[in-house]
Amino acid sequence: MSKQLLTLNRLVIGYDVPLSNPISLEVGQGEVIAVLGPSGIGKTTLLRTIANLVMPLGGATETYVDRKGGLGYIPQNLGLVRHATVAHNVALGAGVRMEWSFGMYAERKKRAIEALSAVGMADKASEPVRRLSGGQKRRVATARTLAQRPQLILADEFLSELDDANAAAVMAAVSPMINDGSSLIMVEHHEEHAVKYATRVWMLDEGHFSDMSVEQWLVYNQRGENE
Amino acid sequence: MKFRLFGIIGALSLLALLLLNDLAGGDWGRFGGGLGNLMVFFTESMWPPDWSVLEARSYPPCESRFEITCSVGYIGMVETLKIAFASTMLGFIGAIMLSPMAARNLQTVWISVPVRLLLSAVRSLPSLIWAIIFVIVIGFGPLSGVLAMTFYTIGYLGKLQYETFEGMDSGPLEAGRAMGLSSTSIAKDIVIPENSNHLLSQLIFMFEYNVRHGTVIGIVGAGGIGYHIINYLKFLQYDKVFALLILIFVVVILIDLISFFARSFVNDQGDVRRPTWMNMLLKKAKDQSSVE
Repeated sequence: MSKQLLTLNRLVIGYDVPLSNPISLEVGQGEVIAVLGPSGIGKTTLLRTIANLVMPLGGATETYVDRKGGLGYIPQNLGLVRHATVAHNVALGAGVRMEWSFGMYAERKKRAIEALSAVGMADKASEPVRRLSGGQKRRVATARTLAQRPQLILADEFLSELDDANAAAVMAAVSPMINDGSSLIMVEHHEEHAVKYATRVWMLDEGHFSDMSVEQWLVYNQRGENE
Repeated sequence: MKFRLFGIIGALSLLALLLLNDLAGGDWGRFGGGLGNLMVFFTESMWPPDWSVLEARSYPPCESRFEITCSVGYIGMVETLKIAFASTMLGFIGAIMLSPMAARNLQTVWISVPVRLLLSAVRSLPSLIWAIIFVIVIGFGPLSGVLAMTFYTIGYLGKLQYETFEGMDSGPLEAGRAMGLSSTSIAKDIVIPENSNHLLSQLIFMFEYNVRHGTVIGIVGAGGIGYHIINYLKFLQYDKVFALLILIFVVVILIDLISFFARSFVNDQGDVRRPTWMNMLLKKAKDQSSVE
């Protein structure tokens, strides 16, 4: 049986008012979970609560990952350091688990360049992030996560801005990590991306949270459209 | 909304005028003839500026090939620039180590509040008072000036820096925190590079401020061009004072130009090559010649 990475125990999310019913579930290794629902419903809040950036209103989250570098979080605006170079941003991910030594910097840079090559951005390594296009920035954020190799990746609007070809390229870069046992929880806007890449769907709608397989979600969605 | 904003600004301006009237004791007659007095003072005592301040002093004898390097203006200005540069850099190092600890979005209240208190305590003494303290402790000379302005710079720059950090986008911070980066690494690898544009502009502003302020602390004997200004003031040589003031003005403008150039490396504007009139004229001339 695969190792457990995350447990939510009667978790209630929200800032002042609850945005969901109590959520209890478990996430194992190698899962790709799409969080779907209308905008403003609390998808980002759920992700931020799991990342320990927001206190839950009730219940608890428990992650079973390394304290340093075990969790990767890609916020909606990607959270890149705009005025630093592409290599600097990716090196942050690469260096998070490393113990300090003189050789660390060279090793960190090597791993950053490897990760950038995987997303086809190695030639932009010395460019400041602010000069890149939206799609390129997303690839840099992906490279930072690849270099970090977290066990649990939380990504807000991970594929939303990308066209089908770019989304496929980003997922192809991430998939070796998923095959190695990492799990990805991504907030999505495009339902077709969810159908294509996810193994599981979390649906948030009018304060009601439901956890289902992609097949169940397709049926649920069909029923909603027919009504 | 717009009317309400203008209303608030108008009410505050009216309050300021009322306070001013109160401070002046309602005696506005003093302004009568004031401008005339100023003109007389300016034309008789200050104008024309006496540029002999840029000529070599009679003693000690000048051994340099360039006479100007032996002048009061040059020696004073260079000393002021040295004091300003050393104290700005030392102050910057002090401030950049303290300010990430003072920012509320980077540290807990238990750390940020005491560091803020320390910074405001350092800042509450003007550099002139710091200069007097150091002149008493270690005597007259530029070293007192450097130490005085270093302390003031830490307090002043520290506040500007932590306020900049508090206004930064939370995305990179959250990504770093979730990743498990230490607070030192967040400050060093995320916060400082992300705000490099503001930090550089504040640093250059502080250098310019210290150059201007170097003249004031020179007055209490802490070295620099201010020492010469106070000497000329004592002997009522206002035309020489005026020449030195023009020199300071020129240096401040030069620093401003350097600041503009330096910041273009780290801001978005530097990435955009906007057409200049010169480029457009050159392009037009080129197009014309190609047509011919």
